[in-house]
Amino acid sequence: MNQVMTNKDFEAKQLTSSIAMIVLLVSFTMLFATMLLGFSVYRLTVDVWPPMGMPRIPLTLPMVSTIIIALSSVALVLFESAFNKHNTKAMRVYFALTYLLGLGFMFVQWQLWNSMAAMGLQASGGVFPSLFYALTWTHAAHIVLGLIALLFLLPVSMKGYSMEKVTWVQNVSKFWHFLGVVWLVMFIVMFVF
Amino acid sequence: MAFFEQHIHSEPKTFISKYIFSYDHKVIGKQFLWYGIIGLGLGGMMALMIRWTLAFPGEAFPILGNLLFPSTGGVVPPDTYAMLFTMHGTIMIFYAITPILIGAFGNYLIPLQIGARDMVFPLLNMLSFWIAAASALILVASLCLPLGAAAGGWTSYPTLSTLIGSPGAGQTLWTLALFLLGVSSTMGAVNYITTVIVLRAPGMGYFDMPLSVWGLWLTAILNAIFLPVLGAGLLLLLFDRVFGTTFFLAGAAATTGTGDPILYQHVFWIFGHPEVYILILPAWGIVSDLLSFFARKPAFGAKATALSMTSITILSTIVYGHHMYTTQMSPLLTQTFMTLTMTISIPSAIFFANWLGTIWKGSIKFDTPMIFSLGVVFVFGLGGLTGLYLATVTTDLYLHDTYFVVGHFHYTMAASVLLGGYAAIYFWMPKMFGKFLNEFWGKVHFWITMIGLNGVFMGMMIVGYAGMHRRLYNPFVYEFMERLIPINAFVTYSALLMGLGQIPFVINFVYTIFFKKEKEPVSDNPWNVGTLEWTIPSPAPVYNFKEIPVVKCGPHELGNPNLPEGKDFQYQTEEIVEA
Ligand code: HEM
Ligand SMILES: [Cu+2]
Repeated sequence: MNQVMTNKDFEAKQLTSSIAMIVLLVSFTMLFATMLLGFSVYRLTVDVWPPMGMPRIPLTLPMVSTIIIALSSVALVLFESAFNKHNTKAMRVYFALTYLLGLGFMFVQWQLWNSMAAMGLQASGGVFPSLFYALTWTHAAHIVLGLIALLFLLPVSMKGYSMEKVTWVQNVSKFWHFLGVVWLVMFIVMFVF
Repeated sequence: MAFFEQHIHSEPKTFISKYIFSYDHKVIGKQFLWYGIIGLGLGGMMALMIRWTLAFPGEAFPILGNLLFPSTGGVVPPDTYAMLFTMHGTIMIFYAITPILIGAFGNYLIPLQIGARDMVFPLLNMLSFWIAAASALILVASLCLPLGAAAGGWTSYPTLSTLIGSPGAGQTLWTLALFLLGVSSTMGAVNYITTVIVLRAPGMGYFDMPLSVWGLWLTAILNAIFLPVLGAGLLLLLFDRVFGTTFFLAGAAATTGTGDPILYQHVFWIFGHPEVYILILPAWGIVSDLLSFFARKPAFGAKATALSMTSITILSTIVYGHHMYTTQMSPLLTQTFMTLTMTISIPSAIFFANWLGTIWKGSIKFDTPMIFSLGVVFVFGLGGLTGLYLATVTTDLYLHDTYFVVGHFHYTMAASVLLGGYAAIYFWMPKMFGKFLNEFWGKVHFWITMIGLNGVFMGMMIVGYAGMHRRLYNPFVYEFMERLIPINAFVTYSALLMGLGQIPFVINFVYTIFFKKEKEPVSDNPWNVGTLEWTIPSPAPVYNFKEIPVVKCGPHELGNPNLPEGKDFQYQTEEIVEA
């Protein structure tokens, strides 16, 4: 597409990709909703929670993750507004911040798995740890995808605003915020209650 | 409508960009068509082996038997039998019917019928095909494993499908293959949904879309919402098998587990019931259009048909429990699911009546696509009616997991979807390949298939009603079943007949595409119908429409008495002629 995009083309392209992204996010929502449904079924049908002989997972690490991922969402919002204001310098800062916080989330996640292992919670140790591992694995896999997607914004943050990249920025950030919301729900449903 | 106009594709030059990694929706559609037809052959062979075992236990399967099962002298061994029905079901549903109806005709028809130059995301489209191809490769490769392929039925219920039930890698590969296929189909769904929303030609409202597009679009919506549900179930199953989690293991099957195999069934059928509508909706849409085209009458109540299909789509999401009456569900729940299921009869009856209204007093032309469509009306009627017995709790408790169920779902999914797919192939062949399939052999194909499949599926319902359980290796171990031998043999002969009946089709299809020379080129609109794909040359050019058409009327403007002499249809690009 070498020709200059007209305004109408541009709007159409944006609308199209946001429709597609919404459909995609509905799909992802169903994936996580099903897993959380499974979690809730086990949670509600068991007599004692956590089940006999299982330690409760301390809130500290999940809480830290929640804060980190929330901050990364905020950083990404700031990145977007810097992008829209054509402020390349601020874009670079916020991009780096988002990315580092994303990596930080993965690091804390790693610590969480280690700490669960140290408490004697193995993935194969019954359905209680299974649930925690499987849901966090699935979410973490998506975070990795998100981190890869964020990389596509790297050239943008180097070169600055360009009309062609607007949809990229919007879609990647939709996905990233979505992962944040999913984590928040997981945090409340799985760790707090 | 028409948020934007796509640029005209430039013609691909190399063989690879033209036929292998093509971005063109028409080529991708044809790729899916071949893929599905190969799947049909493979799944069909397996069905014949299953049937052979049931009718002639202990006898070697002719010709292929000695090659495939040398250790038993050509007889299908029991564990292989389980693999056969599992792979048959899986291949037929996910690798034959789905690619033909959704992959091939979804891709081919949607842009052409809404007046677009391609899907909105051609690259995504291509990836979707190649991921599906990879998935098929994984599934077929699992047949060659030392412990064999998956053997837990196409539903793969735990505990059959966990490491305890099937220790081999076959089940793991099955799970992986289906997960991949889910990814591919979701990509397709995103593409279809968006395409229909943003690329409809100027002037084309939702109710101006042909009903084929309606069916395909609703299917795509169901796919986008419910495939991830199966995806989640498969992921958990995969974790159980690979990482030793214990979601679906309970009691003695688990070492420390407190998992729940029934949870898998819930998840599976939350997906599984919509899945049967995913399969049938495109066929419904296509048949609704074809009945109108060949009866030379506007589709009766086309808007009501579209709305009924929509309400069925919505209802289909809340009735899944009728597959699980025998899992100790509370009676309150079974009654609820029964009532909800019965509710689906209302919209079904509406559009079934609309089908009849469409052909009523039409001047019907009995070309091959039309007789296949009429076949769909017949077999779907039978399938739908028998469904009522299974939706009713009291009768289902007896019929559950008997051959009655097998007969019922074959009538709805196998028979009607398959016939719908064939109708579509015969009808759009000139637009796809610029040539007609041979009418005579088409009719032979239809009649043999129709007689064969009714013999098979009616027979299945009869033995099922008599109490024969499905997935049984040797039907003659119980005394009461010995008296069913003649019917079972009849079913098998019918299946052989139906299998043989596909040979004329395959020869016809291959011959037409590769060898047949039309005396004169096929005209743009050989069937005299008005939808947009018939306004362009046959076969359709790379860019579809040189000028994006402007739509002025609906897809079924046939037999308008105000039309000038000698003309009985209008293109969608023409103003309706008023008196
Ligand atoms: C050529 C015609 C066909 C014949 C003769 C045939 C025959 C059979 C037989 C004998 C079974 C085993 C039933 C059992 O023991 O449980 C079966 C299962 C099945 N078939 Fe077909 N079939 C045919 C076509 C199809 C088609 C086109 C579909 C696609 C929708 C299909 C879908 C299935 C499914 C889903 C199962 C269940 C597999 C399971 O038990 O898990 N069949 N079929
Ligand atoms: Cu159902």
